[in-house]
Amino acid sequence: MRALSLTLILALFLFGACLPANAKGADSPAVAFVQKLGDKALTSLTAKGLPKAERARRVRALLEENFDIHTIGRFVLGTHYREATDAQRDEYFKLFENMIVETYTRRFQDYSGQAFKVTGAEPSGDQDTMVSSQIMQNDGPPVDVEWRVRNKGGQMKIVDVLVEKISMSVTQRDDFDGVIESGGGKVEALLDSLRKHQVKLAK
Amino acid sequence: MKKPASKFLIMLFCVFLVMGTASCAHSVDPKDGAKAGINDPFEPINRGIFGFNNVLDKIIIDPICRVYVAIVPDFMRSGVHNFMRNLTSPILVGNELLQGDFRQAGVSTARFVINTTAGVGGLMDPATSAGLQYKDADFGQTLGVWGFGPGFYIVIPVLGPSSLRDAAGTAADSYVDPVRLWAFNTHRRWIYYTRLGVDYVDQRSRIMKAMNDLRANSLDYYAAVRSAYAQERRAKIQHRKPENVDIPDYDKGAKQQQPDHP
Repeated sequence: MRALSLTLILALFLFGACLPANAKGADSPAVAFVQKLGDKALTSLTAKGLPKAERARRVRALLEENFDIHTIGRFVLGTHYREATDAQRDEYFKLFENMIVETYTRRFQDYSGQAFKVTGAEPSGDQDTMVSSQIMQNDGPPVDVEWRVRNKGGQMKIVDVLVEKISMSVTQRDDFDGVIESGGGKVEALLDSLRKHQVKLAK
Repeated sequence: MKKPASKFLIMLFCVFLVMGTASCAHSVDPKDGAKAGINDPFEPINRGIFGFNNVLDKIIIDPICRVYVAIVPDFMRSGVHNFMRNLTSPILVGNELLQGDFRQAGVSTARFVINTTAGVGGLMDPATSAGLQYKDADFGQTLGVWGFGPGFYIVIPVLGPSSLRDAAGTAADSYVDPVRLWAFNTHRRWIYYTRLGVDYVDQRSRIMKAMNDLRANSLDYYAAVRSAYAQERRAKIQHRKPENVDIPDYDKGAKQQQPDHP
């Protein structure tokens, strides 16, 4: 029995030593970009007692500066992008951005006393870097968040966010696709639903 | 005792047969903008069950979870969580071995021994602090590692999202669960059912916030949950190397063909 427990303790240390450090590419500019964005979001967006309109304004500014909304929005519309008229596309991009702003304004409002740290980075494809990070929560285990950062001619923009391996873009795309399918395959059904969602949130 | 066992095996075999044929049609190119790689031929029925589960959530499960979170202190809730998780260790190790993940099977075994002894019967989790990370494993995942596709999407009453493969996996896991076998063989079924109930409340209270967030921020909650489920399961099956969804660069090429849209 003693030998067994000794072996186990030894095994424990061995396993501990084997755990990956996950610091690959930690010095990439994408890491600094995500860390800076995270810090900025925490200081400017989570302040308590901020009027809703002001928080929303800050979310929108940060979003437009650091995310490639057009790429995300187009990916989320999927194949329906091709079916949409110019006017529909225009309205879609506007409504889509508003929806993200609304969502994150509320999320940051409820966000309290949590810390954010970048844990690693790995190149993906010829112009993207996947930056891994952890968000520490007061009530529960840390949440793994990955950021797909695209380098477009020296300018870095986020094109996807994965929370616990679940892509926000893919989930949103399937969500919107569900609306369009239920609405007889018409893009108008999605626009209508987005408009209603906005009205509902504004109340 | 023998008869239900063979019946169960035959059922499992049939499920595998169906999955074998169903899995051929499952690969989907994410660039196509198709659904997150899961077929849903019974969508109307699934939506019905999903709606039922939602009502159940709202009137029974959510209130129970809220009360649980409100009146049971944090340390006791994590005690419950650790204890429940520790009980699943045999299933975990079994599946990790079946998946050929010997390293994680070793980690899980060490976790079980340490948490059961130093962790006071599993109420605490000193193994995690020692660097032995928990990872979940189930037979649905094992089947996935063996190459079975999800088959098709199923919403199970009360339990929620699943697939043909994962439902078969859940059935197999609970069938061989030592706690269940022990409780059933010693005529203490109530222990098993109590555990199921506690486990359910524990799990649900942990994801309650995320579920409410998704519900509030999606237009088609059903489609969003289906997508998240499919992605989560796929990531767990390819847990060493999660498949990254490629986001195309729309500006490439678009410049020559058509003026890029503002």
